Amino acid sequence: MRSLTLEGASFWYPATESPALREVSLEVAQGEVVALVGALGAGASTLLLVAADLAPRVTGGRLTGSVARRDRSGIVLPTPWTQASGMAFTVWDEVAFGPANLGWPTHEIARQVDRALEQLELVPLASRDPATLSGGELQRVIIASILAMDPGLVLFDEPAAELDAEAARALWRLIRLQAKEGKAVLLATSALDALPDVADRVVWLEDGAVRAVGTPELLADVAACDAGLGTSVASVWRASGLPGPYPLTVAHALRRWR
Amino acid sequence: MTGGRLHPFTLLAIAGALPALAWILPAPRGGAATAAVLTAAPFWLFLLLLHDVPTTIAIGLRITTMVASFVWLVAALQPARLVEAMVAAGWSASVAYLLAATLSAVPVLKARARRIVDAQRCRGLSPRGGIAARLRALRALALPLVLSALHEVDERALALETRGLVPGIRRTPLAPPPDPAVEQAARWALLLACLFALFRRFL
Repeated sequence: MRSLTLEGASFWYPATESPALREVSLEVAQGEVVALVGALGAGASTLLLVAADLAPRVTGGRLTGSVARRDRSGIVLPTPWTQASGMAFTVWDEVAFGPANLGWPTHEIARQVDRALEQLELVPLASRDPATLSGGELQRVIIASILAMDPGLVLFDEPAAELDAEAARALWRLIRLQAKEGKAVLLATSALDALPDVADRVVWLEDGAVRAVGTPELLADVAACDAGLGTSVASVWRASGLPGPYPLTVAHALRRWR
Repeated sequence: MTGGRLHPFTLLAIAGALPALAWILPAPRGGAATAAVLTAAPFWLFLLLLHDVPTTIAIGLRITTMVASFVWLVAALQPARLVEAMVAAGWSASVAYLLAATLSAVPVLKARARRIVDAQRCRGLSPRGGIAARLRALRALALPLVLSALHEVDERALALETRGLVPGIRRTPLAPPPDPAVEQAARWALLLACLFALFRRFL
């Protein structure tokens, strides 16, 4: 079942003449992880804001086309320190900020917060002051804060930007788990190497428009590699002058060698 | 900080009543508190240039009380407790957050300014030295401070929206601070004191 449907969506930020999104049509189904890739300024973050019903409602600007959302959405923005409520004594309180705003009964808030803290491996930090956390820890707290609100559509904008390699791997596993639980996930990331294991589909954005949509194999495509959007393995293969098709992952490369 | 465990409404009532009383009550006739004068000496000096000594003392004491009340409130009041107390009292969560965020803006901006000064110092711009050097440092501080604060407002608005802080919500109070009867009575007493002083002064 579709959680998000965009049909011919174009969006202009206030006081701009050229659109940040151009005629974007996209569907994200429940249980699916769709990754947005593209160069800086390609429109991935804007697309997430539109999907989250924040643009143009909060940002201002103009939207044409149609956007249909079946589920409540939650978005994780790239900078954790601007997303903290500033109204929490502890990490537990910070994660509970969103669920409390939904007016849920206290026991339900506690259940969702405890679950989110476990999923993000934050239980040992539950009583820490959020102001004392590192960037990576705070990013995990913000992700937990969104997941604790139990959104049907989860939107991630560069969620691994502040995380170390191990925490990033745990996050990718968590994203797959979210999809397995039936949530729709739309993800903008430059961590291309993670996508073969995380994404069901990849959407390549260029200048605000959809250039290509496909499986993660798209990241081994010649054109994607030429645009700097290939996985590391595909890019190295290409740089080495080896013949195509380029392998997507190390496992693919090994199979090619044998 | 003294008063930090008082109910947030009591803190607000004291911080509001003290300046109100300071301005409503008749001006003291000399014999000013030395400590207050020393604390606000530069400001008082400025007043003295414009007024005679009794007027300087009257206005200086009042303004010092007002500023001291606000500074004490910002230091003692925990924004999270204020939000919880206001929500428990039936206020809109958005209004409560707006008020609490305003009160917590000063320390946030102060911390940000310190980070910017540190960054500028790494680039060789010292905030010390003569007036010209200090003005240059001030300019290098003010622009990034204002611009980054404005940028953060945008992002924070998006984050708060997605975390459910929208007008009209019915937030669940998680841990409303206890509101003892003594503090409630004290707040009413402060309000009555202000009204009584107003009555005595002007009617």
